Amino acid sequence: MAGAVEPYLDSLRRELQSPGPASLSVLLALLVVALTFLLWRLAQGARSTRRAVLLLGLCDAGKTLLFARLLTGRYRDTQTSITDSSAVYRVSNDKGTNVTLIDLPGHESLRLQFLERFKAAARAIVFVVDSVAFQREVKDVAEFLYQVLVDSTVLKNAPALLIACNKQGIDNTLRVTRSAAPTSLDASATGGPAQLGKKGKDFDFSQLPMKVEFVECSARGSKGEEGDADFEDLEKWLAKIA
Amino acid sequence: MLDFFTIFSKGGLVLWCFQGVRGPASAATAPVNALIRSVLLQERGGNNSFTHEALTLKYKLDNQFELVFVVGFQKILTLTYVDKLIDDVHKEFRDKYRNEFQQKGALGILNGTFDFKDDFLRLLREAEESSKVRAPTVMKTFEQSVKSQKTVKCMIETRGEKPKEKVKNKKNKGSKKEGNEAVTASNKTAPGEKQSSAAGDKEELTKDEILQKNREEFFKRHMKAGEKSSKSPKPDAQKEKGKKPRVWDLGNSNAKVLDYSNSTTNGNSEASPMEDFDPDMALRDRNREPGRLYDLEYESDEEAEEEKIIQNASKPSTKKGGLGGMFGMLKGLVGSKSLTRQDMDPVLEKMKDHLIAKNVAAEIAVQLCESVAKKLEGKVMGTFTTVTSTVKQALQEALVQILQPQRRVDVLRDVMDAQRHRRPYVVTFCGVNGVGKSTNLAKISFWLIENGFSVLIAACDTFRAGAVEQLRTHTRRLNALHPPESHGGRTMVQLYEKGYGKDAAGIAMEAISYARNQGFDVVLVDTAGRMQDNAPLMTALAKLIAVNAPDLVLFVGEALVGNEAVDQLVKFNKALADHSMAQTPRLIDGIVLTKFDTIDDKVGAAISMTYITSKPIVFVGTGQTYCDLRSLNAKAVVAALMKA
Repeated sequence: MAGAVEPYLDSLRRELQSPGPASLSVLLALLVVALTFLLWRLAQGARSTRRAVLLLGLCDAGKTLLFARLLTGRYRDTQTSITDSSAVYRVSNDKGTNVTLIDLPGHESLRLQFLERFKAAARAIVFVVDSVAFQREVKDVAEFLYQVLVDSTVLKNAPALLIACNKQGIDNTLRVTRSAAPTSLDASATGGPAQLGKKGKDFDFSQLPMKVEFVECSARGSKGEEGDADFEDLEKWLAKIA
Repeated sequence: MLDFFTIFSKGGLVLWCFQGVRGPASAATAPVNALIRSVLLQERGGNNSFTHEALTLKYKLDNQFELVFVVGFQKILTLTYVDKLIDDVHKEFRDKYRNEFQQKGALGILNGTFDFKDDFLRLLREAEESSKVRAPTVMKTFEQSVKSQKTVKCMIETRGEKPKEKVKNKKNKGSKKEGNEAVTASNKTAPGEKQSSAAGDKEELTKDEILQKNREEFFKRHMKAGEKSSKSPKPDAQKEKGKKPRVWDLGNSNAKVLDYSNSTTNGNSEASPMEDFDPDMALRDRNREPGRLYDLEYESDEEAEEEKIIQNASKPSTKKGGLGGMFGMLKGLVGSKSLTRQDMDPVLEKMKDHLIAKNVAAEIAVQLCESVAKKLEGKVMGTFTTVTSTVKQALQEALVQILQPQRRVDVLRDVMDAQRHRRPYVVTFCGVNGVGKSTNLAKISFWLIENGFSVLIAACDTFRAGAVEQLRTHTRRLNALHPPESHGGRTMVQLYEKGYGKDAAGIAMEAISYARNQGFDVVLVDTAGRMQDNAPLMTALAKLIAVNAPDLVLFVGEALVGNEAVDQLVKFNKALADHSMAQTPRLIDGIVLTKFDTIDDKVGAAISMTYITSKPIVFVGTGQTYCDLRSLNAKAVVAALMKA
């Protein structure tokens, strides 16, 4: 075997010592291919590290205002979102890592489309709930949360889930949320194909493959437009998962 | 004059707001939200104005930088300068803050300060002035008119002058009468001259000739009148002789003979023999999960796979699409250019024809294409994307958005809710004749029974022959499939009927109270089919719904219907709204699309119906056995619609 390879090695050595134009072009081509391959790998890799934090919730839950407050600290007037907004957010921990905050529209006809688009890149999900209107909207909240949780991509990636009860300060309904959400999720689960949690037992958030936490916040803040928003818990959680 | 003017991004952040009228600071939010929800999100963006309570809102989209410009003013005012104002503001705002918009992500918009007030006030002033500039036209004085320039001399005819010129001058003044007067005047000044022969003009007739002509015409007319009057009395006389009283075959027998309904007590099966009911015939597919409502299978497996691949590929690289695009037209592909109306028009025309060929109602196809054009105008295309692909993508998104309902109707959850409150859940089925109300009612009751709810069927179709018998047969079959023994001893389905000829609303009310007393979970009310133009029947239906206040009003429509769908739904909704006494009238809550197996891929009726009512399609009927009930799969339907 070695004898068969010898002449090839010799010719290769000769070529390398005095490179002709043909071999140079071959080498250049190989280099370009290798570079493209590396770049492609890097692009894929960047995608796979999932650096996005999604802000989900019903219409009028306060997602866009929360988004604006997190990024600039100032109050902005908002309207119903028709499309998504994304920006890079510098987390306030020692490492100073960046996450991409993505604010998705909450309107019924758009929410599933945008969720489809962004769910693969989600590292964490913040589900914003309007605490004031919660009693009235509990069925819709449960339905949307159910749709998010049974999604196959979400179950596979298991991003950290935070349920942020917005618009606090008017009515303290955190406890109500925590207790009512599982029972309504259970009810909505009867119609759907996938089973959430364990069959036969009542649904509880501990049965999910991901970590779930509850947090209170108020994007408007106690002082309205001038003051800051009360969401230190939210910022701390973001720092933790980044 | 303006109430407010807002500029906000499509992502929801308000960039700048102007309050023209003193009022609460957030008075602009509610109408603008209503605008967004009803127009932009429902793809009704064809014309750019919208009324909400007392305000008219006009808007403009900037698709390049994803902005929306909205101006609101009182409905009673008609301000002509508003359109121009919006265009000017759009141009200036865009140019002034171009840098902020071109930054990647939302940070540019978030951090930028948009101090636009002075520019806006200036533009407003200019617009108002330009509308005032066109003062009302002032009448010209006599000195300014052309007539005063002419001398008296030129108006006098003298012999020997060319008569043609004179007549033509007179004609230019404008009226035939004047011409005639001038003719007679000229005739007087030139007596005896046969100017007709000399000039060759037809109008130059002498008095005698005119008189003779008139006399001839008079005689002709009188001759015709005489003939007519002589003709008319004859046919009347003939009709008189031929009229005879009509005899009806069954006219002499009374109502008793005509009543074919068997006398039975409600809910119990009567003496007639139970026919052999073969369950396998009714349930074609035995190994399906009982109680589960499957999605429409519409070659959905391959389509779903393709769609997943398309979705994943669209984000990272358009190179794959580019290979196909490269072999297309190379010219317009490279570089980023913004879409103009002219580019999109031929493509939109083709898409509109394609939609109409797929049985979407014509006016809806037009409106949809308009709205998509509005959404794409000015948008910057990436490299290697053709106009066709961009328009198709946008149209596909718009169609999926339409089919995804505003409010999901989850019947099972609502029934459980009603169960908790110990009252029956009432569903009413309405629609035109022959769409499949009774058949689909039976299918839905089968599905409900499989999910463990007991059903009472109210036979409020008291007109059509055999309607009650049909429902009785269904009841018997369903009880055979789900005998009381397997459900803890209670009958899962019963029929409440009162025969034919009675008032439907009354029967419905009695059925609901019977269900409440007996503890039934669901009441399904079957009504008679009726045409949307039949005013008395529509009133009767509206009365039934207004009086009984059902939880769910389902409109049953067949998938074969084309442009008729628009008319049916509009008239049904209108009738329900007109005849209801309440502040918020009960309208159609959901749609049942039937006979879906008879259309291959001409699924446009689904789009027409959801677009008109903006209510979801709750069930889809795909056959005549009890298992042929599906729920709508929006992606599959849109895929079938867009398939060439």
